[in-house]
Amino acid sequence: MTSVVLIDTVLLLLVTVTAIAIIEVRNLYTSAMLTSVYSLLMALVWVNMHSMDVAFTEAAVGGGISTILLIGTLVHTAREEKPLKVRVHWKAAVVTALTGAALIYGTFDMPRFGDPKAPIHHFRVPEMMAQTVGFVNGTKGKQAPPEGFDARAYRSFNGAVTSVPDDPKDTAWRETSVLAQHGIIVPEVLGSHPQHAEAGHHLHPPDDFNGHVPNSVTSLLAAYRGYDTMFETTVIFTAGVSLIMLLRRPRREGQAQKSAPLLDQTILRVVSKMSIPFILLFGLYVITHGELGPGGGFQGGVVIACAFILYALIFGRPALYRVLPPPVIDMLTGLGVLVYSGTGAACLLLGGKFLDYSMLDTVSPGEGEALGMTLVEYGVGITVSMVMLNIFNQLAEEESR
Amino acid sequence: MTGVLGIYNYWIYVILMMIGLYGVIAKPNLIKQAIALGLFQTGIFLYYISMAVIDGGTAPVWTTVQDGAQKFQGPYDNPLPHVLILTAIVVSVSVLAVALALIINIKRRYGTIEADEIEAMDIADRLAEFHAGAAADAVDEAAAEGHGLEHAHGGHHHG
Repeated sequence: MTSVVLIDTVLLLLVTVTAIAIIEVRNLYTSAMLTSVYSLLMALVWVNMHSMDVAFTEAAVGGGISTILLIGTLVHTAREEKPLKVRVHWKAAVVTALTGAALIYGTFDMPRFGDPKAPIHHFRVPEMMAQTVGFVNGTKGKQAPPEGFDARAYRSFNGAVTSVPDDPKDTAWRETSVLAQHGIIVPEVLGSHPQHAEAGHHLHPPDDFNGHVPNSVTSLLAAYRGYDTMFETTVIFTAGVSLIMLLRRPRREGQAQKSAPLLDQTILRVVSKMSIPFILLFGLYVITHGELGPGGGFQGGVVIACAFILYALIFGRPALYRVLPPPVIDMLTGLGVLVYSGTGAACLLLGGKFLDYSMLDTVSPGEGEALGMTLVEYGVGITVSMVMLNIFNQLAEEESR
Repeated sequence: MTGVLGIYNYWIYVILMMIGLYGVIAKPNLIKQAIALGLFQTGIFLYYISMAVIDGGTAPVWTTVQDGAQKFQGPYDNPLPHVLILTAIVVSVSVLAVALALIINIKRRYGTIEADEIEAMDIADRLAEFHAGAAADAVDEAAAEGHGLEHAHGGHHHG
């Protein structure tokens, strides 16, 4: 834990310095490049706090796509900020200082960093995890609850944990806590516990419990928060549509036929051509592997978009349009949302609730949850990658005018 | 973790958010404002992820090692904040993209992306409109008056 805190302290200091530099520097290109550095540092902070999926997204989105978008905009807006008349905006400084002081006063009531007794680790967590692994509502195709499992007590659990010792290394309390009683939070502890092994609980954790989806971030994303994720995909879809409405104009002949300026750079051309297939393959791996380890539709989609953007940068957009014509990109943008909601509708037609993946067990027995989540991840991946590509194309079209 | 280090992350989140807020208020450059908004958002992300950490925990990917000696016995970090922030990051890039598209449209129309210059141009436009309107009204009035006079009173005005 000390090493976590030590690395965290140093990294966050660097992050703060970078943030100040981003705001203070006058050259906007420098500012855009510093945001890339900032995102990379942030990704390291997330890894240090064991938040692999977020780190992955931050590195792909913040370090890659946002920087490309910013530079693409800067090309045809402004290089530098206008020099300010006053160095410090005193009204803004006073407002932020007061707000910051109020918020810092609020942090004194926060639970300490990493405190196992913090309410966030207890309130509703059992319900959430149980719903994710899917035995509480007990619909058809779901796993039967473990023997002696009291669903009613489980639902009415108010988050109170009795007798947590002060020493964080003393993990004995977890075995007696309500969280762990049914192997939700620490399956292995229960599995190795002779008393529970006798009761047959060792049969469930960890594999069966999770419906073959070991990455709990993905299973929460697609199951417990399935609706939210679906509508967040719709938000991204809407952003893509608004970009088209704001920037797309009828194309005039001969305008997109500009030769790519980077094409005569031999090293760039050869290296990018060699690496593009692997970037695409990696993107698909990240989407497919999302249920087993860090990754998923959002991250994989951005990686795939990066491969196409690299191709467009080196070989020119006409070459990209031969591979993926703009109408196809537009259609694929909608297709991703359709795949997501279609998976939900399929569960509905098979007799379950919307996005109740266990219904897909009739299609592939025992792997319905994994199948549903993979389909959903692909839907997210298609929409995200195509929206990112579309946004890049719109900004680049603007540039060539 | 006790003492200052126990809430250090929350302080940094406040500082990052306030740097972003300062940028949004103090900088007239619209692109700078969009970047500052991004900093504000990452501050909030830091707040959420810091809450998910648990002492001695690890990434919330259930280990599937069944018969290994090195089974992980400890707790897992809370996955819910990770899920929230993961989607929030992707939504934040969508927000940035739409903001940049709007900024490009503003540049097309005004030829500048400095908020104070845009405001000055808007005010100048409105003033010009007002004056033009007043002038047009005056012309209309004069014309109407002229017509009326011509018809009713003959050459009174001309004389």
